[in-house]
Amino acid sequence: MSDTDPERTDGGTEVGSEVVAGGHEDDHDHGHDFPGTGSIKRWFVTTNHKDVGILYIVTSLFFLVLGGVLAWLMRIQLWAPRAPGETILAPVAYNQAVSAHGLLMVFWFLSPFAFGFANYIVPLQLGAKDLAFPRLNALSYWLYLFSGILFGVSFFQGGTFSGGWTMYAPLNVPTFTPDVGASTAVLALVLFVASVTVSSVNFLTTMHRMRAEGLTLRNMPLFSWTILLTVWMMLFAFAALLAALMVLSADRLLGTTYFAMESPAGALLWTHLFWFFGHPEVYIVFFPALGVMAEVFQTFTGRRIVGRKWFIIAMVLVAIQSFVVWMHHMFLTSINLQVKTLFMITTIGISLPFDLMVFALIYTMLKGKIRFTTPFLFVFGALLLFIIGGITGVFLGAVVLDYEFRGTYWVVAHFHYVMVGGVTALVGGLYYWFPKITGRMYDEFLGKVHFAAYFVGFNLLYFPLFVAWETPRRVFDYAPELAPWHQLATIGGFVLGLSFLIMFYNLFKSAFTGDPVSDNPWEYATTAEWAVSSPPPLENFEGTPTYRDGHLSFILDRESDVTGGATAADGSGGATAGGGVATSPHTAVTTEYEPTVEATEVEGPSHASIWPFVLSLGAFLILLGISPLQDAAFPEGMMGAAYATTAVAGFGVTLGSLIAMGLEPFHGPVFDEGEAWPFSGIDNGKVGMWIFLASDVVLFGGFLGAYIFTRFAFGWTGWQPVPDDPIPGLVNTYILLTSSFTVVLALVAAEKKHKLGLVTSLGATFVLGIGFLVNKALEWQHLFHEGLWLSTNVRTSTFFLTTGLHAAHVIAGLIIALYLTARAWRGAYLEDNRSVEYFGLYWHFVDIVWLFLFPLFYIL
Amino acid sequence: MVSTKFYTAIYVVLFVSATVQVLVEFAGLAYWTAFGIIMVLSAAKAVLVAAYFQHLRWEPRSLTYLVGIGLVAALALTVAASYSLL
Ligand code: HEM
Ligand SMILES: [Cu+2]
Repeated sequence: MSDTDPERTDGGTEVGSEVVAGGHEDDHDHGHDFPGTGSIKRWFVTTNHKDVGILYIVTSLFFLVLGGVLAWLMRIQLWAPRAPGETILAPVAYNQAVSAHGLLMVFWFLSPFAFGFANYIVPLQLGAKDLAFPRLNALSYWLYLFSGILFGVSFFQGGTFSGGWTMYAPLNVPTFTPDVGASTAVLALVLFVASVTVSSVNFLTTMHRMRAEGLTLRNMPLFSWTILLTVWMMLFAFAALLAALMVLSADRLLGTTYFAMESPAGALLWTHLFWFFGHPEVYIVFFPALGVMAEVFQTFTGRRIVGRKWFIIAMVLVAIQSFVVWMHHMFLTSINLQVKTLFMITTIGISLPFDLMVFALIYTMLKGKIRFTTPFLFVFGALLLFIIGGITGVFLGAVVLDYEFRGTYWVVAHFHYVMVGGVTALVGGLYYWFPKITGRMYDEFLGKVHFAAYFVGFNLLYFPLFVAWETPRRVFDYAPELAPWHQLATIGGFVLGLSFLIMFYNLFKSAFTGDPVSDNPWEYATTAEWAVSSPPPLENFEGTPTYRDGHLSFILDRESDVTGGATAADGSGGATAGGGVATSPHTAVTTEYEPTVEATEVEGPSHASIWPFVLSLGAFLILLGISPLQDAAFPEGMMGAAYATTAVAGFGVTLGSLIAMGLEPFHGPVFDEGEAWPFSGIDNGKVGMWIFLASDVVLFGGFLGAYIFTRFAFGWTGWQPVPDDPIPGLVNTYILLTSSFTVVLALVAAEKKHKLGLVTSLGATFVLGIGFLVNKALEWQHLFHEGLWLSTNVRTSTFFLTTGLHAAHVIAGLIIALYLTARAWRGAYLEDNRSVEYFGLYWHFVDIVWLFLFPLFYIL
Repeated sequence: MVSTKFYTAIYVVLFVSATVQVLVEFAGLAYWTAFGIIMVLSAAKAVLVAAYFQHLRWEPRSLTYLVGIGLVAALALTVAASYSLL
């Protein structure tokens, strides 16, 4: 990224500077104005994975500071036990600080911090020029940033959410948390989940489809492995969270009654939905840290990880098992004893693969020759912390012990050891990749001072919490004899927090004045990011990376030497265990002497689009606008009108930018197929669509699960369908089936290059969809006149909300159908009908969902 | 891949089976018998749409597994949560 500063790319590789120059040159050629890193504009339009990675890292560190300040406020309050009258923060303010701290740290700091590295490093490790969908990647970032801003706004709307990060029912409904800000916080999470979903689809498509030739999953570097598993877990877990949050938003804004006190098992429903997400989430935040640990251990012990294959198998097992342990968070609820026992067993089961990973790391260390650099210290510290956190977690996994520990500081101490233990590893990662990202070295001495302060502060803060475990969680009053421990913890909290000042100073200063580094400042670092210059050129590699011969080399268009500090893809063959082997000159497929610049100019992918930013702004405005709704009504007066206007404006901005994005000519990274298991031969767009649909299956699954669960709790057969007559539903089934059929005809017509057929079929689909909605509106109006509405009771809530979510999918589909029809009218899709095909996949999916909603809500 | 005629046949089957679902409801069978038949019909229709309209039959099997995983996750949540109430 140093295209403005020739000195920084002098890592000894011409490759670097050359391509950077090329990247610079080709800007004006795509009609996309792509400014340099020094320009503010660059950061608003960039879609490059490395830029996005930097944005993620910087933004997440900002949220770390915010969450950290809230933690300090809590620790100050906890200096002494306090009765409600004598607090520093008002009691509700304290509750807000606790809740916002948890939410910010888990969602807005920890995962995005890790994904900053994922964005920057994973494509390099894969040998890809960028992610599969660069604009969607920028979109993920902007949605994330705006979700964080929305959360910030919530503090100023009477107060943010105060019911704890787990948002347990019924405290999460307006009866108990009436502030507008509480709703805004929930909506901020919805926006955050949107960001995560986009990102998961993008990463999964990229990682499965865009690996360099020879880079099989087996050979993939461990950091990439952990990210791959993380995004798989994210895809499904966050879809369940989205269901939970959408239902909660409906309860808060529209007046449905899923979680109300009087609904059968409402509180239990939330815990199921939340923890089905929540347990995988703890691995989602932890896995990237594990990946950093593995990479750094290998580099600074100079050794390949012991039992690499088993390490990977263990991680895969954990990722799968993480979806079947969630009820260990519910041992003190009314779930039955058999199911508690079952989940105790699965919990014990999941700790076994973890033991294997820990031992693999320890053996690697014992067998290697350690160099105690800052990254290694952090990562080694993280391992120690994680061991303590893991052991204390096993205590909690035992039903009987948990009866004692639940709701105490034991739990608080446990999860801070594991989660902040993960942060420790990621901080190590920040030092590790800092020279790669900036091209300069940080100050090693200050790094070590940071580690010392951090590690002391950490243990001073969290260890006393184990000792003072009898303190009730989330409460600022506690037994006076525990006060000394809490005072130690408070001191530790300040040491830990202030230690980051050393890091910020060090990294900020070094980014400008540190010693320039070569491609690979760490001896023995073997993954591909170290084979390119520091920082890497805009499009990562000159030539095409390949692992065909068991090590990384580049196929160039011209005959010249390429320096790759490189090596075996981490883990192929032990021969390189000793160190990076410079590659021998690759097979050169000669075409011309200096074609590179030319080639880039013609074929180069685009890197700039402003629409992800604008689209996210629109989404932000919509959610901000609807935040004060209660029982589906805006507040009276000016305030309500202002909010409503904001929502409408947001809708306009969103729609406009979606269309603009659709019409914008944008070329993703060109990719000659390498390793693409298990999706080889399927187009990236199609893979992405199917991955998205798989997450949508879980979203609807969450809604239907909530319905089935509630009905089950109510008494299945005592619950009548809301519409007394199934015929309107049947008619809608006919309409939807017919519209699916017309989409099929549209694709057939497109394949035959039959323009009129295409336009007619798409138009018919649109008209049928409208018919579906009109029919539904009539039916709803009828029910409304009978006195049945969203808020009547939980039975009507489930009916209107679930079919309403489906209707929202229909509306989204119709907008796309309209867009496709208009473009088909102007002659599009006859040469390339993929858009029609992908739309069809979505539309048929919406149809399938209805095939289940119809019987479940109309006839049974 | 296949002719419009074939797609039409699928469409007719779907249409008829939706009708049958409602007829089953009106046939006055025992509740759980009707429940079973109706849900099996829904599942069968879903499979037809996925296999032929979404072309899963002709795609690499990995896409089918992908959707299957989502389905299993959703079912696991629903079944285990409901069971926990017993
Ligand atoms: C060896 C593996 C682990 C086991 C057996 C385990 C077990 C448990 C159990 C049983 C609880 C529920 C305690 C209660 O609320 O009474 C719990 C809470 C928690 N664990 Fe773990 N855990 C493990 C690893 C982890 C990891 C790796 C993380 C995150 C990186 C983590 C994060 C959490 C969090 C955040 C909570 C608190 C949830 C809340 O707010 O109520 N755990 N753990
Ligand atoms: Cu858990």
